Amino acid sequence: MTALAFQTALARLIVEPDFRDAVRGEGAAALPGPLTPLEASRLVTIAGDRGLDMNRTLHKGFRLGKLRALLPLTCNLLGTARLAREVAAFWRANPPASFSFLPEALEFCAFLEQRGLRSVYLAEVLAYERATLELERARVGPAPPQSVRFLHDPVRLLGTLAAGRRPRSVPSRPCLLLGSKDGDAPARWTLADAVSPPRRYDRENAAMTDGGTKGITT
Amino acid sequence: MRTPTLTLPKLGVGLAYQAPLAPLLAAAGAELDYVEVVPDILWTDLGREAEPRYIDDRAGRSALEQASSGRPVVAHGIGLSIGSAGSFDTAHVDQVERWRRRLGFPWHSDHLAFHLAEHGGALMNVGITLPLPRDRESIELLVPRIREVRRRVPVPFLLENNVYYFDIPACEMDEPTFLNTLCRESGCGLVLDLHNVYTNARNHGFDAAALLAELELGHVGEIHVAGGMELDGFYLDAHSDTIPEPVWSLLEWTLPRCPNLGGVTFELFGSWFDSVGNERIRADLCRLRTLWTKATRPARRRSVAEPA
Repeated sequence: MTALAFQTALARLIVEPDFRDAVRGEGAAALPGPLTPLEASRLVTIAGDRGLDMNRTLHKGFRLGKLRALLPLTCNLLGTARLAREVAAFWRANPPASFSFLPEALEFCAFLEQRGLRSVYLAEVLAYERATLELERARVGPAPPQSVRFLHDPVRLLGTLAAGRRPRSVPSRPCLLLGSKDGDAPARWTLADAVSPPRRYDRENAAMTDGGTKGITT
Repeated sequence: MRTPTLTLPKLGVGLAYQAPLAPLLAAAGAELDYVEVVPDILWTDLGREAEPRYIDDRAGRSALEQASSGRPVVAHGIGLSIGSAGSFDTAHVDQVERWRRRLGFPWHSDHLAFHLAEHGGALMNVGITLPLPRDRESIELLVPRIREVRRRVPVPFLLENNVYYFDIPACEMDEPTFLNTLCRESGCGLVLDLHNVYTNARNHGFDAAALLAELELGHVGEIHVAGGMELDGFYLDAHSDTIPEPVWSLLEWTLPRCPNLGGVTFELFGSWFDSVGNERIRADLCRLRTLWTKATRPARRRSVAEPA
């Protein structure tokens, strides 16, 4: 089916700038087959069309908009320039696959974690937003409770980011945030101050932590 | 070939539902007759291999029902990708049918385009509607699929003319011929998006009115109107503003010439609600209502009201 190859190439012209540039530079030789001569000719023409760049702008805006909606605090923390760099690197390795964009947001979290970026707060913010996505994601049955370890005051850190500001000099406060969700109600987070040095935690031992609590609803 | 007859209830003026527009819907009065929803927002699709594949959004349904306040709800999908060469997703169609039974859509629609393409053995979602070649090959791909949709969802099915920022060169048909042929052969109707026509005409330098004059308007079941914005030398179908005057002109010409029209829907992205403002949106809805009433007034009453 040449129509299949035509549509794949057309989509790649929008999604993959390297492929688009190759077609612009080399013409039909850069196109994988099977394509009819008419389809190849159409693709070469489209590759040079300014409208293709507008489609790429819209595609990027749509895809980035989903990440910003699902990971607002992480995006604010990274800032515009670094977010653009990281998203570009992530997209080069990850074609847009899902219609629901939550899996892509989770993959972006994993991508950022292994990038080793220099950011004091990134690990905590990423862990919190990933846990929030796990609570909010559509599933059969109840959402599993979540726990996120913080080294810095989460109320100050997350509040600053939620207000659209970059956090600076957030006080140290080792603690856990415990997240849960009942039915269609919003996720609810409870802060449990650590009374001992940070320790390995997971869903099970998170419940053992006590201390001062404070409800945070996201 | 006999042209299938399109039979839709005459609903009037609708608004495309977005959660941030809920206050506008709550305050709307007689100027608004129905609400249009993207049905895909009412569920999460976990993927074609997942079991169960769809998780319904009960809170989303509740919010929609509250916002629509008993008005009819019409479905305008974004997920079908009916033009994808590699696959046709009948499970998606069945999901639309499940929600039709719940919400009673009098008709439903999707986009005459594709956004899913195969790449490396997986589906790639471009996230924007891409144009199909206006060739006989596309007609032959689409017609059996449209018939299958009509068989699975027993209410009229409409497809929306696409907005495109590049055109596919050397097509066998012009746009009106392609749309007329598709509707005649498949039995689907048309969501005639006048803002798409205007956007395409403006970006590609053709006469929108001339295109409309070539369309067989008996196929039109619904009209979409919206506003847009300029970016990088293009005019965008951004659903970011009230309806521009050239689109009103197209609507005034078109509306009375569509005998099978079910409604006119105003589309605005919720993120633009605050900047556009409640007053301006309601003014457009009232203007649409006036046009609708004028165009659909029975001939006898019109002759009494307008003796000249």
